[in-house]
Amino acid sequence: MSALLEVKNITKKFGGLTANKDISFTVQEKEILSVIGPNGAGKSTLFKMISSFLRTTSGEVLFKGERISNLAPHIVARKGVVRTFQETTIFKSMTVRENVVIAHHLRSKTNLFGFYVGSRRAHADEAEFRRSADEILGFLNLGEISGELASNLPQGHLRALGIAIGLATDPTILLLDEPFAGMNHDETMRTVELVSGVRDRGVTVLLVEHDMPAVMKISDRIVVLNFGEKIAEGTPQQIQQNEQVIEAYLGSEDDSIGL
Amino acid sequence: MSSENIFMEQVLVNGLYLGMQYALIALGLTLIFALMNVLNFAHGQLYVVGGFITYIIYGKLGLPFFVAIVASGVTLGLVGAVIEKYLFRPVIRKSVREESTMLLAAAIAFFLDAVILLLFGEKQRGVPKILDGVMNLDFVVIMPYDRILIAALAGSSIVAFILFMQYSKPGRAMRALAQDRIAAQLMGVNVDRYSMIGFALGAMLAGVAGGLLVSIVGVNSGIGGPVSIKAFMMVMIGGAGVISGAIAGGFILGMLESIGLTVLVAYGDLTYLVIFVSLMIFLSIRPQGLMGKPWG
Amino acid sequence: MLLTSRFLAVVIFFISIFVLVPWLIEVSGRWDFYYTLTSVALLSIASAGVWLTFYIGRINIGQGAYALAGGYLSAVLVTQYEVSFWLTIPLAGLFCALLSVLIGLPILRLKGVYFAMITLVLTEVAKLTALALPITNGARGIVSIPLPGELSVFGMTIIPDFSTLENVKLAFYYLAVTLMVICFAGMYRLVNSRMGHLCRSLQQNEELASSIGVNITTLRITAYAISSFLGGVGGSIFVAISQSIYPTSFQVADSINFMLNVFVGGLGYVFGPMLGTVVIYFGWDLLFQTGKFQLLIYSSILILLMLTVPNGLLSLRLFKWNKEKK
Repeated sequence: MSALLEVKNITKKFGGLTANKDISFTVQEKEILSVIGPNGAGKSTLFKMISSFLRTTSGEVLFKGERISNLAPHIVARKGVVRTFQETTIFKSMTVRENVVIAHHLRSKTNLFGFYVGSRRAHADEAEFRRSADEILGFLNLGEISGELASNLPQGHLRALGIAIGLATDPTILLLDEPFAGMNHDETMRTVELVSGVRDRGVTVLLVEHDMPAVMKISDRIVVLNFGEKIAEGTPQQIQQNEQVIEAYLGSEDDSIGL
Repeated sequence: MSSENIFMEQVLVNGLYLGMQYALIALGLTLIFALMNVLNFAHGQLYVVGGFITYIIYGKLGLPFFVAIVASGVTLGLVGAVIEKYLFRPVIRKSVREESTMLLAAAIAFFLDAVILLLFGEKQRGVPKILDGVMNLDFVVIMPYDRILIAALAGSSIVAFILFMQYSKPGRAMRALAQDRIAAQLMGVNVDRYSMIGFALGAMLAGVAGGLLVSIVGVNSGIGGPVSIKAFMMVMIGGAGVISGAIAGGFILGMLESIGLTVLVAYGDLTYLVIFVSLMIFLSIRPQGLMGKPWG
Repeated sequence: MLLTSRFLAVVIFFISIFVLVPWLIEVSGRWDFYYTLTSVALLSIASAGVWLTFYIGRINIGQGAYALAGGYLSAVLVTQYEVSFWLTIPLAGLFCALLSVLIGLPILRLKGVYFAMITLVLTEVAKLTALALPITNGARGIVSIPLPGELSVFGMTIIPDFSTLENVKLAFYYLAVTLMVICFAGMYRLVNSRMGHLCRSLQQNEELASSIGVNITTLRITAYAISSFLGGVGGSIFVAISQSIYPTSFQVADSINFMLNVFVGGLGYVFGPMLGTVVIYFGWDLLFQTGKFQLLIYSSILILLMLTVPNGLLSLRLFKWNKEKK
């Protein structure tokens, strides 16, 4: 399997502060790769640079061999690299269903004018979007509440909605930003299954996370960051036995790392 | 002034003189903006009211110029406080969007325009010269003494303002409020009181500027709007909500006007068109102005 | 069932403005009302443009500049190049749209008061440009603009020459009102089409919209271009009615009024600008009888309005049935 995404020597400086230093790794097709590290390790910053919501100081990100770093975010999304957001970011005054339908924007074959005049292709597109939205909502167990206003949802459902929005774009690789944050054990296990299901649909998953048990359970491979640098890369078993990783986590104020 | 024998130095001196006045106006606007995130559309009208008060006290009643200026400042301060407390505060509390306060400011501007028009009519008013004589440096730089005095007064007002904001208790409270509203509240700053003081201070600066300038260019009821627009441009150039930005913006606009009016005098109003186009190009490169915080 | 009641409302509306109103005016002899209502219709078109700018999250106080630009383009084309007035309407719109793309590229990035400030300055600058350029005749303006000529296609007269008409005011009324209906119908459709959905997504969460592939810059510029198009169209027709144009025809106060119309009518509702324009215009007109106190009373009422209903008229309970048109 070839490398779908390549992160090459990414460095990010904010004034005098170096958030990420010379980070390199690859993501293989159809795998689930997690980026972990203690608080402040630079995971979010890295994440934002991969999805091009932040400019790199140096280094580049390649997707299918093509550079995607520092492009406009919507173009990166169009190429198939789609991110979700850490805060439960959704379109608040639309219903759940509308949120997912509109996220199909990238799949439309007609342009805005076609939709305006209501051409036949536009109608076909709309119908397909609705069908696809329902399917995705079903997959994420949001089918029953599809008519609810998004702002009324409890947090767990909001997360799922965020993933639904991501899936609606028909991504090649989905970037999940702390999908397990703030969840209890049951919710975490359910989400683990969900993310697994996403991969089964053929979507490669790159996730950034804190919650170690979940990460250990779901990842094919893991990359560990500490103080902005990559300190380890490998399978969950390898990571669990890696001394530097243990050191990093014991040295910080984090909870148990689930060994 | 004819454009025949104007030296670079004269242009510079004119620019500095204009800049001083403009900075005073811009400071008031930027203070109000920094504290309340409100664009005071009525700023130009406050300036005009200040001018008319000085006109009455110095021009009509014959009292000393200095008294007139103080009267302008104090009156506008009171007006500003009233406007903030009884008009802006309730609207800011109740409204969902920014536009409400903007429209309120516009309505207040219209209101003041109406009052001024009713009280003073449309005629241009002026006051007798406060100082006679002209400073003449070898005909290279020619500057009437009264302008020098006005510039000095404006300059000292600006310095006084900066010192006040930097070292006095209300000044520091307002700076804290401008930087971070919530943090300031947590530190015990009374948001309501200092918003009012800030608005009053901003209005006072506008009033003083109006009073000072009435002795040079006079005042009439119609210049409120254009003055507001100039103030906006200064704030945009220098960056909104930042004291140094207001001063920089004021001086830059003053200088641009001086240069433009000399160089482009054949083309009249083209000066402002050029300034605006340059401003737009400048803002597309640096949207926050020279020293501003990235918009909000 | 909702469809029928809405349909009925639309039919009643059409009958009112196309049949009932002219009949009432003829019967009562108040022909000045033609001018009033024509103005309202045109101003509501320009206000609709401002409304659309709100829809992409920007506060537009610069529509006066485009109304002026469109007006001047029409005036110049008709008087100096003998172009048919009817052609100048879309041309004025397109001219303004193109202009707005150039202007919009740098300024649409700014938000909130910053954008508002720049649009305000834009209005002032439009006036200065009109004063400075030779082609616009400076402060003297362009006067004696002829009434709209004939509009004929393949030899068939669709619209007769206005100077041959007995009741020119009625003709202008129909023109303005027809365009108003077309404009708002178009807006309604826009808001409920994909573009409207995307604009809403933009309003609610820019980053999220980006992440689903929405090209935010292009969307904003497109909306702004449409807004300015409407401003230009409104301006061009105004010029035909007043048969003259001056640098002061549209000023900062007008730009503020457009925004006011939109706001009073309610920002979330497509037909808000129409309602708002009617209220504001008639309000101002009614106050004309107070003579020199007109501005004072007008602004006092505005201030009161802001103090009591800071979120617009249509946000009041009375208009809740209108909500589905959002």
